[in-house]
Amino acid sequence: MDDILNYERATARLEEIIRRLDSGEAELRETLDLVKEGQRLVELCAGELDAVGRGLEELRLDELVARLEAGPRQDGPA
Amino acid sequence: MTARTAGRRARRASGRSRAWAPSTLRRLAGAAEARPAGLPGSALPGPFPVGAYAERLRDELRARARVQLFGEAWNLSVSRAKVYFELRDARGAVPCSMWRSEWDVLGLAPDTLADGAVVVVAGGPDYYPGSAASSPSFSFLATELRVAGEGDLLAQLDRLRKLLDAEGLFEPQKRLHLPELPRTIGVVTGEGGKARDDVLAGLRRRGWAGRLLWAFAPVQDRHAAPRVIQCLQELAAVGGEGSDRVDVIVVARGGGSLADLFAFCDETLCRTVALLRVPVIASVGHHTDRTLLDDVAAVSCSTPTHAAESAVRVDCAEARGRLIRCTRRLESHSRRAVLERARALAGLERAPAEHVHRQRRRLHQRLRELRASGRRQLAEERTVTDRRALVLGRKATGAAVAVQQRARDLDRLALAVAAHDPERTLARGYALVEDRAGAPVTSTRAALAAGELSLRFADGRVAARTEDS
Repeated sequence: MDDILNYERATARLEEIIRRLDSGEAELRETLDLVKEGQRLVELCAGELDAVGRGLEELRLDELVARLEAGPRQDGPA
Repeated sequence: MTARTAGRRARRASGRSRAWAPSTLRRLAGAAEARPAGLPGSALPGPFPVGAYAERLRDELRARARVQLFGEAWNLSVSRAKVYFELRDARGAVPCSMWRSEWDVLGLAPDTLADGAVVVVAGGPDYYPGSAASSPSFSFLATELRVAGEGDLLAQLDRLRKLLDAEGLFEPQKRLHLPELPRTIGVVTGEGGKARDDVLAGLRRRGWAGRLLWAFAPVQDRHAAPRVIQCLQELAAVGGEGSDRVDVIVVARGGGSLADLFAFCDETLCRTVALLRVPVIASVGHHTDRTLLDDVAAVSCSTPTHAAESAVRVDCAEARGRLIRCTRRLESHSRRAVLERARALAGLERAPAEHVHRQRRRLHQRLRELRASGRRQLAEERTVTDRRALVLGRKATGAAVAVQQRARDLDRLALAVAAHDPERTLARGYALVEDRAGAPVTSTRAALAAGELSLRFADGRVAARTEDS
C-alpha cells in the first residue's frame, strides 16, 4: 500500500497509463479502468503537491521535542 | 551579590594580586595621569590604564621560557610582514606567527605547509598590545620551523575512512529510498550560518513550501559532533512512521578549512548516520574537503542550496502543470473512448434501415429513370410518327396532284386518240377499204389481189369487186 501512495511511483504509473492510452491499443474496458486508476493517481499526486504548497511551516526541533515531552505530563494519566 | 560570591571574587582577587609584584602595581598605577574611581566595593587593585596593562602582559609573556612545540599546521596565511598559522593536535591549538624575514629564510615551497602538515617550531609566546586604532593579538612567535611529515589528523582520517568502508557503512544510506517530494524535511545546521539561507533559497527554487524542521547545532569544534548526532537521532524519531515523520534530513554547513569540518569526520557521527533509517543529504564544506559524513550519507552535495534541491527533486510548479495536463489527457481519453464507440454502435444500429432506405432510393431512381426514358422514347416515337405523317401527308398531296395530272394526261390522250379514230374520218365522208377478213386494204395492188372488198362507210358497209381496168 505504501508503494501505491508513494509520489514518484504514482507519477511513474500515471505516465505509463497515459502512454498506454495514447497508443490507442486499449479496449474500452481497459481504457475505462486505466482512466479510473489514472484519476485516482492524479488525486494522490495533487494531494502530495498540495501538502507542500500550502506555505512553508518552519519549526524548531528543540521546541518540538520540548512540546512533545511536555505533552504527556500535561495530559496526565487518564 | 551574595556573601558566597563576594568571598569567591575576593579570593580570586587576592590570588591574582599575588601574581603581580607590588612594584608592578605601583608602576601601573603611576602610569595613570587621570585615573577614574574603581568599582565600588571591589577588593581588586586598579583601575589601571589598559595600554600599560597590555604592555606589561606582553613583557611577562615574552619573559616566559622559549620552547619547541610540534603539531599540525593549519590555515596558513602570509602577509607582508608576518606569516600566521595555527598549530593543532587532538587536545588543543595555539595561534602562531613568524616574521616574514625568518619565514623567507626557510625557503619552503608554497604548498609545503598545507593544512595538516606536522611541523616543529621554536619560539615563545608573544602579545601584541594593540592601540587605540588596532586590535591586540596573542600568538606563539616562532623563530624557527621544521616540517615533520604528513598530518596525523589526515592519516587518522584516512584510516577511519578505510575502516568504515570495510565495514560497509558507506552503503546503508545509499540503499534508502530518497523521496522525490518529501513532506517534511529536517535540517541540521548552525543557527546563525549562511547555510540556513542557502537551504531556504534552494527550497524556494523548487517551489516547495512544506514542513521544515530546523535542528540547530554547533557546526565546528568538539561540541559539534555530539550535538549533531543528537539532532539526527531526534529528527529520525519525530513522527515515527506516521505522516508527520521526517522524510529526509539535510546536514548543511558552509565552506571552511578541513580542520573546521573535522566535526563531520567524527566516527560516532558517521556510524549514527550509516544506521539511520531516514536518508541524510550532506552538504558540509566543499568537494575539495570531503568529510567522512559525505561518504556515509545517502547523497553528498557541494552547497546547501544543492542539498535542498536534492532533497526536493521535483519542481513543484512544473509538477502541477504536468498533473493538469495528465488530467486533461485522461478526461479526453475517457470521453473519446465512450463517444467513439457509441458512434460506432449507433452507426451499426442504423445500418439495416439505411440499407433499405438506400435500396429504396435506388429503386425510386431507377423508376424515375425508366419513366423518363419511356417519356423520352414516346416523345421520340411521336416525333418520328409526326415526321412520317408529315411525309405521308406530303406524299398524299403529291399523289393527288399526280392523279389529277394523269387524269389530265389521259383526257389529253383520249382526245388525241379520239382525234385519230377512223370513225370520225368516216363521219367526215371517207370510206375504209377492207378485205374479207376485215383487214384494211391500203393499196391498189392489195385491192386487186383481194378481188372482193368491203367498203365501210360511216353509216354502214358495201361489198365491192375489183376489176382490172
